[in-house]
Amino acid sequence: MNGLKILNGGLQSSIQDAGRIGVSDIGLTQSGAMDELAFGYVQMLLGNAFNTATVEIALGGLSFEVKGKVCIALGGADMGCTINGKPVSMWETYNLIEGDTLSFGFASHGHFAYMGVVGGFQTPKSYGSFSTSIKESLGGVEGRKLMAGDFLACKPSQLKDKRYLKKEFIPNYDEEVHLRLVLGYQEALFDEVQKETFFNTVYTYKGEGDRMGYRLSGEKVVPKVNGILSEAICYGAVQIPIHGEPIVLLKERQTIGGYPKIGSVICTDCFKLAQVKAGGKVRFRVISQEEAQAEAQAFYRFFRF
Amino acid sequence: MNFTFQVASFNTFMIYFGHRIDPQVSKEVQKAYRALKNARLIGVLEIIPSYASLMVSYDVLTQNYDSLCKRVEEIIMMARPIDEAEQKTVSIPSYYHPEVGLDLETVAEEKNLSIDAIIALHVNQSYNVYAVGFAPGFAYLGELNEALASPRLANPRKSIPKGSVSIADRQTAVYPTQSPGGWKILGRTPIAMFDTAYEGLSLLHVGDLVRFEAISRAEFLKLGGIL
Repeated sequence: MNGLKILNGGLQSSIQDAGRIGVSDIGLTQSGAMDELAFGYVQMLLGNAFNTATVEIALGGLSFEVKGKVCIALGGADMGCTINGKPVSMWETYNLIEGDTLSFGFASHGHFAYMGVVGGFQTPKSYGSFSTSIKESLGGVEGRKLMAGDFLACKPSQLKDKRYLKKEFIPNYDEEVHLRLVLGYQEALFDEVQKETFFNTVYTYKGEGDRMGYRLSGEKVVPKVNGILSEAICYGAVQIPIHGEPIVLLKERQTIGGYPKIGSVICTDCFKLAQVKAGGKVRFRVISQEEAQAEAQAFYRFFRF
Repeated sequence: MNFTFQVASFNTFMIYFGHRIDPQVSKEVQKAYRALKNARLIGVLEIIPSYASLMVSYDVLTQNYDSLCKRVEEIIMMARPIDEAEQKTVSIPSYYHPEVGLDLETVAEEKNLSIDAIIALHVNQSYNVYAVGFAPGFAYLGELNEALASPRLANPRKSIPKGSVSIADRQTAVYPTQSPGGWKILGRTPIAMFDTAYEGLSLLHVGDLVRFEAISRAEFLKLGGIL
């Protein structure tokens, strides 16, 4: 068997692709890579299609041993990776051979790292996607996070030339993130004063979040009503319950909910938000629907060619 | 029936048919949902119905907001009404007893009714499936008889057993898997709400009618129920 034998699963490592599409109407969450930018670069370095089964590592701790020959690419948060004990850089490809070991330390900047292989990992698809949803016990390896002893099969591969991501493309995960938001949904449930507060506040992410969504702390913004008639929730929706703190709903959000939403953060900024570590600062900025659509088009044209 | 479009995000919009729980509004949602699903529009990623709205999200590389809204509007205008005779009725066997219905006694006390009267109120009517979501196969059913309407628990339970038949305000639902939750539990069904063997994976779909059927402890166990 060719692939990776997991020695340590780390805090929360899981198989993810671009997400589970078309089954939200029966209650299945979208799931998929939290940061599609880093995820996309990894596929690009390997020459993979965008939607390829990849390991997503949250915070760090993953280690594995190679069986056979595997070419990997690393992207996302720098977790102090070592190959056979020697430090290596993110955003590069590495040809690994039988017996090589790779270990992730823990992220000092950013939150999620991605490790892909040529052709992707050969885990089973579940409802059309490789993505793991731990809360729904679906996809990936038995619907759970990776654990010591798991084996991730992939086809044997070695790339003739090493590939790097150009320096100017490497994201900086320490900057204050500006979340561009399309107003909509229940915008009318927030008065002008509340909206002004919302857009003028520098929010702190205190680490109250997971793959479902991130709660942000700062000035309280209180909607005119406590709840609304339950309705579907889209990616990036900013829900503000009566406690007044915005929650940005991300890849593993519930499909339906009843809290007022001021609008939705554009996908490319949700990817940046995913990488914000506890203590990181974010602020919201308004963007028109046309601009938001154009920005998303540019992103997906770049990666899906 | 009127409906309005509202932008929700860079690739998503809502279609609102009303803003309250109403079987007529729900029928309009179902009619539009069915027509849009059947239209199989290229680049439409999700169509998610709820009580009074539909959410549509699309691939920005193959669709754009203006032209998709126009096409969707045409499809909804042309949609065939829901024929009540076509509505599927699904029967859900349920074992109502305090050993599985963890809030049955509390609700009976709160309403000043006997446990049997509570059960009768729950089984003696059909429910509409207004939405499926929150968790896979979780169907929001309504409307519960007003005499049975009861608020959610002040402190939600960390773990509600799989198959729990529960109520909240004027809604009722079955928990498809063990999960946290704040709805009050009256009983338990031995049948699965979500299974790969089901057509469309979920036992219930928006537009179905549901009836609960009281069964004994022996029947519950015979049907594979777990206490």
